[in-house]
Amino acid sequence: MRHTDSPSCSSSNANHAWVHEVLEPEQLSSMKLKFGRRKLAPPTLALLWILRLYVLLMILLIGYQAWSAFHPKS
Amino acid sequence: MNKEVLSGSELQKKQRISQEDIKRAEDRRHVKRHRDERRPIMLFWVLLGPGILVMLGENDGPSMISYATTGATYGIGFFLPFILLTFAMAYVVQEMTVRLGAVTKKGHAELISERFGKFWGWFAMGDLALGNLLTLVTEFIAIRAGLGFFHVPAALSVLGAFLLIVGAVATQRYWTWERVVLSFAIFNLIFIPVALMTHPVTTDVVKAFFTWGPLPGGMNAAFMLLIMSNIGATVTPWMLFFQQSAIVDKGLTSKDITHGRIDTALGALLAAVAAIATLLATVPLFTHHVNASNFQGADFAQALIPHVGNIGASLFALGLFEAGIVAALTISLSSAYAFSEVSGRSASINSPIKENAYFYIFLLAAAGIAALLVLIPHAPLVMITLLVNVIAVLAMPPAILFLLLLVNDKEIMGEHANRALGNVFGIGVTIFLILAGLTYGMLTCFPHLLPTS
Repeated sequence: MRHTDSPSCSSSNANHAWVHEVLEPEQLSSMKLKFGRRKLAPPTLALLWILRLYVLLMILLIGYQAWSAFHPKS
Repeated sequence: MNKEVLSGSELQKKQRISQEDIKRAEDRRHVKRHRDERRPIMLFWVLLGPGILVMLGENDGPSMISYATTGATYGIGFFLPFILLTFAMAYVVQEMTVRLGAVTKKGHAELISERFGKFWGWFAMGDLALGNLLTLVTEFIAIRAGLGFFHVPAALSVLGAFLLIVGAVATQRYWTWERVVLSFAIFNLIFIPVALMTHPVTTDVVKAFFTWGPLPGGMNAAFMLLIMSNIGATVTPWMLFFQQSAIVDKGLTSKDITHGRIDTALGALLAAVAAIATLLATVPLFTHHVNASNFQGADFAQALIPHVGNIGASLFALGLFEAGIVAALTISLSSAYAFSEVSGRSASINSPIKENAYFYIFLLAAAGIAALLVLIPHAPLVMITLLVNVIAVLAMPPAILFLLLLVNDKEIMGEHANRALGNVFGIGVTIFLILAGLTYGMLTCFPHLLPTS
């Protein structure tokens, strides 16, 4: 579900009617849309974790590879 | 789409105007005028930018070295159509970010955080920050190497490039920043005259596009690594984050999606032409059996002097500098966009420095750290260059999964959500990239899985 933020910014809109004419309401920094949190389905969540672990594992392996390149076995 | 409905007076009270809004509105006023007056060319001129920048930005230092190595190793053949294919894939992926940005008016990191929670937002940001920092280092290496050909001292080239980044963001105006970077980016095409100076055989070039050959040496580990390197040179995570945030910062809306698509397609075409030109420029090294496997930076320009003369070699070195500087400008901005979005700050180059200091501090810190790393004596720069493409390709599958989840989310995308055909292409590209990433990662860690020659 979407809702809007509360006002936060500086000047009033009295002198800036032209801004409202050219920008869509949610383009204003004070009116950014907020999308609610979406619940991820278990298979999607599992896939995200698998990919996350894959990235971490591969980075560790590459780190080891890089370390080995600098410390060749005699 | 669900949207809270406010009455006219409530809406007026809530709508406060910031400096960022005014600057964006000034840009949008031009869009409105050209659209109302039905001036299609001017309308396209004011709307183009993020697509061309992201594609030419990805033709960065390591990418151009990768294309040059490919040309010097394999000559005219399989890799010419393959490069076109990789840019077609890049278009499929980047087009989704155009729609996401124009419809939701939110950057990629911000959307991930909001829809899937801060945890995943910071994870995505972490991948991006690491990848971007290493990539920025390689861009400064390219800048140093390119200007080194003209005997510019390393410290001076790196400092000059950093000051250029500072100058571009000091404008605090997206439009100015975009036009400055575009004016640099167009010099990516400087590789075309170098390619023409080598007098490539037209019939061989045309034949390669139709036959996907020849492929000297067949499939081996070096070939697979170049395949993955070329993919890594075309589709990377920072591109997703940059283009979506730039679309939002520029103020594109759902009415501008068609122009955003044309901008992205044009960017892909220009980048593919520049990449193919770079490959063709180094074909004489293949023909004359020059071993370019360990070439770095300006070595290619030096080796090309007997074939394209000093002017051609100088253009090649300038192209390397251009590739580095454009990528440094865009990648440092993509880091700042993502950091600000995840931490709930304004992610806009239109915002004044005094109101949004963290955005600018993060941007300049990313570029500054990378610049300093390049100047550290005996820093493992070659190793960093090698790691950059690996990390980019490895980080791509989770990034693309988030992209697909978001672009299929009808609650936020409404009628602009992916349709069946879009998903066929999107999922196809994703699976290909995941397999490519896996293969690339495995071959990097276990290089003896395939024969070496």
